[in-house]
Amino acid sequence: MSAPLLTVSTSPHWLGRTTVRSMHVEWLIALAPALVMGVYLFSYQALIVVGLSAAAAVAAEAAYQKIAKQPILVGDLHALLMGVLLGLILPAGAPWWLPVVGGALAVVLGKLFFGGLGGYPMNPVLIAWAALALSWPEHMQSFFMPFTNEVSETPLMMLKNDVSTLEVVGLSGLWWGQFPGAIGANCGWALLLGGLYLVVRRLVPWQIPLGVVLGAILLSLLAAYTDPNLGQLGYNTFGQNFAIALFHLGAGGVMISAFFLGTEPVSSPVTPWGMFLFGLGIGFMAVIVRVWGGPVDGAFFGVLVMSAATPLFDRIRPKVLGKVVPGT
Amino acid sequence: MSILTMFKGVRLPRAAAPSPPVDLAPPEKVWIPLRQHQGRVCDPVVNPGDQVGLGQLVGTSEEFEAANVHASVSGTVEAIAEVYDPAGQKVAAVAIKNDGKDSAYVPEGGLPAPVGGVDDIMKTRPTRLLRRLRDAGLVRSATLGLPLHVDLSPPMAPRSYMFMTGIPVVRPIDTLIIRAVDVDPPVTPNQACLSEASAELEIGIIALARIAGAQRVVIAVPSGQPHEALAGLAAAKQWELAKINSANYPAAHRNLLVHSITGRVVPTPYGEPRDVGVAVQPLVTALDVGKVLTTGRPPVDRVFSVAGDVPNPQTFRVRLGTPIGEAIKAAGGLPANSGKVIVGGPMQGYAHFDLNTPVTKETCGVLVQSAEHVRSFRNEPCIHCGRCVQACPVNLVPAELSKLCEFQQFEDAADRDLLHCIECGCCAYVCPARRPMVHLLRYGKSEVLAERMEQ
Repeated sequence: MSAPLLTVSTSPHWLGRTTVRSMHVEWLIALAPALVMGVYLFSYQALIVVGLSAAAAVAAEAAYQKIAKQPILVGDLHALLMGVLLGLILPAGAPWWLPVVGGALAVVLGKLFFGGLGGYPMNPVLIAWAALALSWPEHMQSFFMPFTNEVSETPLMMLKNDVSTLEVVGLSGLWWGQFPGAIGANCGWALLLGGLYLVVRRLVPWQIPLGVVLGAILLSLLAAYTDPNLGQLGYNTFGQNFAIALFHLGAGGVMISAFFLGTEPVSSPVTPWGMFLFGLGIGFMAVIVRVWGGPVDGAFFGVLVMSAATPLFDRIRPKVLGKVVPGT
Repeated sequence: MSILTMFKGVRLPRAAAPSPPVDLAPPEKVWIPLRQHQGRVCDPVVNPGDQVGLGQLVGTSEEFEAANVHASVSGTVEAIAEVYDPAGQKVAAVAIKNDGKDSAYVPEGGLPAPVGGVDDIMKTRPTRLLRRLRDAGLVRSATLGLPLHVDLSPPMAPRSYMFMTGIPVVRPIDTLIIRAVDVDPPVTPNQACLSEASAELEIGIIALARIAGAQRVVIAVPSGQPHEALAGLAAAKQWELAKINSANYPAAHRNLLVHSITGRVVPTPYGEPRDVGVAVQPLVTALDVGKVLTTGRPPVDRVFSVAGDVPNPQTFRVRLGTPIGEAIKAAGGLPANSGKVIVGGPMQGYAHFDLNTPVTKETCGVLVQSAEHVRSFRNEPCIHCGRCVQACPVNLVPAELSKLCEFQQFEDAADRDLLHCIECGCCAYVCPARRPMVHLLRYGKSEVLAERMEQ
């Protein structure tokens, strides 16, 4: 009897459905609310910036891999995701070449020079953002007032100059993105919605967002309680100080860092406590820079600095079940 | 289940509740391997040409870690030759041609006296009961099953690794866990036997508890499957019930079951539940014990599930030594484009190459996969997403270990607790880059162990 040919392999024989590509598709789905809010607030200009950035990222990856005679991996959608993410943290008033340069920089300088997906030490989106912010600060700060084409100051810039801004800026308006800001980082609720989708789908560990939010709240409470100017303005009760914490959470890049930039898989830690402390560090850094530092916002710098420390955070291992430590 | 373990492991598709096992007709010829357990190979006590009866001893050994093997059909011994066992190793086996009469063998001194009821057990000395189980050659019916008389005894002396880990003394067994839930669904021999809660089962569990010296008996039942008979029995005897969701893989793994029910940590890599005073036995084994004690005959069959891409997946009661191909044929046969025949379940099973492999006491069943359901690994670079760390039930960092093993940094991997991996396969299941995680970790483990053996 001729035996049928059987396949042999190592276990497991069932594999989950998640692939690198499907993971990136879900990230793009999670970014959709922020993008829709961006287009609603800043009209077609937002769409042009995001579209140019995404197209540049994909084209740069394809071109680089073609020239370097590597397999072309545009199909895993990572370059598209990087481009969209970069577009979302740019201002709507950016000139057309800014997102193009940024998208190409993110993919080539941030990702491919380090060996592609899985090899880079820091988030490519933020590498590109840092390069753009240092090279063309005037373009990177041309934030539009929503529904108009007037360049205006963001709430964080106003806060830098004058603490009493807090009385002008309403919390609900801030969280709905009614003040000048980047395309996608403006509306806190949209980012929260997309981020929670990723957490529920288990594509993003819950520790990092929790750490960022907790870190930002804790440090802004500390800053609020220790600032004499705020006391003179009448900020005395916990409720009032907590409102300042919510202001810090909703303004600038904290929410997008918590759910989309800090949780970027390659450059963030993997161990539970490592991830939580990593998030906490991002939250601390964001508020420290805002309150005591020079630049306007520190969330993105926080992510970059903490990514550099990722190998250290990865050394905080959980306790292995079944490993019996002598003496216990 | 604490909040931290809730996110561990993977969620598998829930298998349908299996139907009770049906008898499979004995085959023309059986191959009885002389080792059907973990441990030593038995020596044959029959010669080619001999007539053997049903249940006659065909292999035995002087070693402690060996279980007797018996003829599972009556007929003529044809040969003693090597076959592949379910783990893919070659082992000597006795081939018996079936004469179809199933004429029972009666030893010279007559059969041991059958146990009439629970009172008989409580009057019999545990060592005497253990002797009978040892003569009947019972084995814990699960993958890597030790002979039952070994599994039920506490370790003779503290083992060397225990000196290193600081566990001071030998701990007597005080808890018996009857595992009525299967680790690796949809291969579910134990869940198929859930409705067979009978007097035999009661006798079996009581005998196991008496032999092991366990005061506390816990029955792990699958949630979402009716088990009234078992629950009634447990209530009458004041045994505890613990509901385990078997879709919540690997909640029913031996070490994790011990951890979730008693809170004790089984030391890995060499430890066993009996080292921390727990005996874990599958429901099928308890049934076998009951049968052996009430009839006085050794077990000749095994509950065996055939699942997956066969026309009618079914749980059978097959004679030991039946080729697995026969059981698959009884379930409707292989699909036209056969892919894998997996001995054990989808997550921990062994993809076998030989359909003539006999069913042994430690095989649970086979999962058949057609070619279009065979998934392949791709070994893309790790993207450091950390999903494997979330999933790992023993809190390792599989991503890092797999990279270390891939680039042959075995000692570094061993320092990062490589040897504590239980090879459950959760990391490979969730990996978006489709890396062959378990393969890499096994490779690393074998290299580390080989190096330590040399020193």
